[in-house]
Amino acid sequence: MSGRDHAPAVLEVRGASKRFGGVVALDRVDCVVRGGEALAVVGENGAGKSTLMRILAGVLEPDDGVLLVDGEVARLRSVREAQRRGIALVHQELSLAENLDAAANIVLGREPRRLGILDRRAADRLAASALARVGLAVPPRTPVASLGVGARQLVEIARALSAEARTIILDEPTASLSRAEVDRLLALVAELRGRGTAVVLISHRLDEVLRAADRIMVLRDGRVRGELSRVEASRDKIVTLMVGREVAAVARRATSPGAARLSLRGLRTEAHPAVAVDLEVRAGEVLGIAGLVGSGRTELLETAFGVRRSRGGDVLLDGATLPAGDPRASARRGMALVPEDRARHGLFLPDPVRRNYSMAVLGRLASFGVLPARREVALADRLAAALSVRPADHARAAATLSGGNQQKVVLGRWIAAEPKVLLLDEPTRGVDVGARAEIHAIVRRLAAQGAAVLFASSELDEVRSLADRIACLREGEVTGILDASDAGEEALMRLMTAERAA
Amino acid sequence: MRKALGILVLLLVVAGVTALASEGFLTAYNLENLCRRTALFGILAVGAGIVIMAGGIDLSTGSVVCLAGCLLPWLLVSEGWSPTAAVAAVLGLGVIVGLFQGALVAWGRLQPFLVTLCGLLFYRGLARGITDDQTQGFRGGFDGLRSLATGRIPVPGLTDLDAFEGASAFAIPAPVASLAAIAVLAAIILRFTVWGRWLLAVGRNPQAAAYSGIPVAWVTLSAFAAGAVLSAYGGMLFVLDVGSAQPADFGNFYELYAIAAAVLGGCSLRGGEGSVAGIVVGAALMQVLRNAIVLVERIPDNVEYAVIGAVILVGVLADELVRRLARRRGGTLRGAA
Amino acid sequence: MRGSIVALAGLVLASLLASPAAAQDRDALVARQRKAIEAMKAAPKDPPRIAFVSNGVAFFWVLAKAGAEAAAKETGATVTVHMPPNGIGDQKRILEDLVTRGVDGVAVSPIDPANQSDVLNAVARRALLITHDSDAPESARLCYVGVDNYEAGRLCGRLVKEALPGGGEVFVFVGRLEQDNARRRRQGLIDELMGRDPDPSRFDPPGTVVSGNGFSVLGTLTDQFDRAKAKANVEDVIARHPGIDCMVGLFEYNPPLILEALARAGKTGAVKIVAFDEAPETLAGVRSGTVHATVVQDPYLYGYRSVEILDALCRGDASGLPADGFVSVPAQAITQKNLAEFEAQMKARAAAAGDAADAKAP
Repeated sequence: MSGRDHAPAVLEVRGASKRFGGVVALDRVDCVVRGGEALAVVGENGAGKSTLMRILAGVLEPDDGVLLVDGEVARLRSVREAQRRGIALVHQELSLAENLDAAANIVLGREPRRLGILDRRAADRLAASALARVGLAVPPRTPVASLGVGARQLVEIARALSAEARTIILDEPTASLSRAEVDRLLALVAELRGRGTAVVLISHRLDEVLRAADRIMVLRDGRVRGELSRVEASRDKIVTLMVGREVAAVARRATSPGAARLSLRGLRTEAHPAVAVDLEVRAGEVLGIAGLVGSGRTELLETAFGVRRSRGGDVLLDGATLPAGDPRASARRGMALVPEDRARHGLFLPDPVRRNYSMAVLGRLASFGVLPARREVALADRLAAALSVRPADHARAAATLSGGNQQKVVLGRWIAAEPKVLLLDEPTRGVDVGARAEIHAIVRRLAAQGAAVLFASSELDEVRSLADRIACLREGEVTGILDASDAGEEALMRLMTAERAA
Repeated sequence: MRKALGILVLLLVVAGVTALASEGFLTAYNLENLCRRTALFGILAVGAGIVIMAGGIDLSTGSVVCLAGCLLPWLLVSEGWSPTAAVAAVLGLGVIVGLFQGALVAWGRLQPFLVTLCGLLFYRGLARGITDDQTQGFRGGFDGLRSLATGRIPVPGLTDLDAFEGASAFAIPAPVASLAAIAVLAAIILRFTVWGRWLLAVGRNPQAAAYSGIPVAWVTLSAFAAGAVLSAYGGMLFVLDVGSAQPADFGNFYELYAIAAAVLGGCSLRGGEGSVAGIVVGAALMQVLRNAIVLVERIPDNVEYAVIGAVILVGVLADELVRRLARRRGGTLRGAA
Repeated sequence: MRGSIVALAGLVLASLLASPAAAQDRDALVARQRKAIEAMKAAPKDPPRIAFVSNGVAFFWVLAKAGAEAAAKETGATVTVHMPPNGIGDQKRILEDLVTRGVDGVAVSPIDPANQSDVLNAVARRALLITHDSDAPESARLCYVGVDNYEAGRLCGRLVKEALPGGGEVFVFVGRLEQDNARRRRQGLIDELMGRDPDPSRFDPPGTVVSGNGFSVLGTLTDQFDRAKAKANVEDVIARHPGIDCMVGLFEYNPPLILEALARAGKTGAVKIVAFDEAPETLAGVRSGTVHATVVQDPYLYGYRSVEILDALCRGDASGLPADGFVSVPAQAITQKNLAEFEAQMKARAAAAGDAADAKAP
């Protein structure tokens, strides 16, 4: 083990700084990546992790400082150049071409050719061996569109391996993976490390970082705040370095739930039309849905809201049936859905934050169809204060905010609408520890004010800490509902993976 | 706003160069012609811009211009309709065309490019069929209605100067009043009303708009309807101005002038942004360019399209460079309205 | 939508305030121009600035341009040639801009004379105006330079008779029938075939069959200057009337397309062709005998005469203006017999045009 410390650095930055306008994203950061070692980089959103990653992968060039590849000073002007030097970035927002199959994605940009013509058989051979190395048992010609998020992640890693990358940078690899998939990925990291590949891991999930990394580097406000070896690291130590203060746990269950607000009666989704779901969420209650990828969590929420067509059954709000497949009607009656994919379904990224807040309540802000600007500003002020969105400049484009703050903005849009029923899909995906606690507190506060909250999460920790009751979902079917206080991780897992009764 | 400013600078540069090269450019007569043409094309461009801001594209503009331009004199002269009825019918037809195209996009889930491309072919064919390819003109009549396009609104102080052959030195061409009303209304709607905000939201991110409870299909529908009505109104003014329309080529290529003006004026073809002021300036730039080509004796006419294409490209490139510089300097991205 | 209504209401008001400029008296404008010519006697424009405007883009107009430039070289006038690519709106714009530029004389082939009087009169208000190729008698133009298209049509009819001594079925192809010249050519052709008395104001609708005197004109198809459509028209007629005896192409580009469609159908020579104008393919057809004859108007002379007349007017010389306002450039029949002579003349003119262009370039 100790020999690794002296393994040669395959990739290194010295004194790297990067400024965006007036904001210092990275301030004289030194970072060494060694072969056969897994380095974890942690920090809150906005701490500079992404900037560092992008410099290492050739997406950005630092303003100051030098980059060394295999001990030699190098300039990486493009991702392609970085790839040629053996550095591969596996992106947080998956960057596969969904219209192509797995093999085509794996060899993308390096397609084997014979006489200038695509050699599909050679491509399949390459892809098959790469897929085998990551332990993904699908045929090379499987369309990527038909793969789940976890499998896509593995295809991306397979792509990196197939390009013979000696350094693989994983940006939030486990954010949307189920537990089993996370296990497999971490095992893969260990295996890669064993073969001498350098792995750089960015994650919010400290337990995973503690399991997988040899070394943990903590960033805050663009600076390195500490570097811990696996032996000396602990969850508390990391969090303290990250946040610069202690984080309090969320207080829960202040009020007792009231009457049923949201009822799903025999609801059938397009993903699992054979299964009818019955669920009830009461006013003041937070109900969590736990399920693996593919269990139909997102589909259930989206069908309840009406952005997906149902295959039968009813959704009732305060006892009244909602028209099926009509999100506008749902929103008008007081239902809200915070989608999993913020960028695609939630935000108007280039638009000012202010507009993102007001989007669902424009009718209420306006008089005779005309929007007074000051009411919109007042709304934004109120929400930004209530949610502590940083920075509080509402004229900024939403795209410039960090993930956690973006999520708060989407939440804020629905808080403005004062929903009776709030549906949340992966409420803290890609959100850092500090913001995550804040978002949980906001959700609890809404429930305390009488809203019924139904949320889905792939993280059991989150489900257990946020929910009052937990419904386990397996292949579209509710296999059990447990009270959070007596829902052990093991019991949940059993329900999530249970064989259907014969 | 910044975009409108950039294109305004380009307009002033082109106008300045033309004024240096041709003494006729800054005469009242020419400026009046330019105002009238800018107004006529500007109306089409605002329509095109609204559709583009909603995330669509309307290729049928020129053919709707042709249909409206042929039907108006046809209804008045051949069918003997009253001006009120004929104008109402032509505008009504614009609404129907827009609703039809909008419905195919909003509920039929067809691509706007495809739907309006078919419209481009269909309406021209329809116009040629209805009129049997015959020129439709006013035959010297309907001066009252024609003053909507040919009328000149006197400007106190200017109009009395240098009277020439009974015509005032400078008067505002009537179409400018139409464009002003349309542009101001469109700007107010886009900037200050719920509908305007919905339109930009749908253009920016239709999925997020649907999740926000915005009636995406209705907004799309209304944007296409607005675009087509403006095309029909513009076509009406065009024929009132020219005096007759030939079904085969009336309004040919006008959709491209309209789209070019909208894009020059800051509408992103990806939807969700644009400024009405910019669009009007864009339309003016197109007309000044065409004017310059005839006025400056050294430029032969037949390179007209090449010059226009080159200037648009320069404008768009300059804009992109400015935008990248701003981004590199870390300026916040602001969506214009 | 609401904007249009507001604008409409506002403009009705505005139109009451402003006097419409369209109602200008033609005669007053003609008198004004004549007065201007009188004034130029004392102060001749030297060189006069003259613009020659076509009704579209075609080889025909390239020849006219050669004529205009040749005349420019001889008279010393400054001449620019303009070909509006996109129809009537484009032509209006170019005319307005020419007036702005301050040209002294304009010769134009109006696209829609019946409805363009106010546009043409706006030119006449600030420059000397003549028409060529297609006349606008309602406007304040000083004269018209062109063939009598009705007479040219009758000449064409005589050539068809010559080609089909025993009579037969005839089909007519033309770009646009709303143009005066096309209409008159076609009517002259039909009247000659039917043996009617001359009457240019007659009009047989294009969709009906006109029969008599052993001839039967089965129909007239227009293509609106769309070459592909023009060819498809011929193909459709071949398919529909396999026994057709003669095809007549009234615009310059029609005969070459007739030749091509017939060749594709394997009917070269089986159907007689009588043509208009001197497209290279048409002349080659006359040489080889696949085209019986072609009626040429002389675009070169249109250009030449228009510039010559305007130049003289701008120097105060109105003697070239005929009393009836019609400067006739006669049509001519070209057959195998006189082809060589005609081509020699064309070659000489094209060479002269080339020289003129070269002389202008530096």
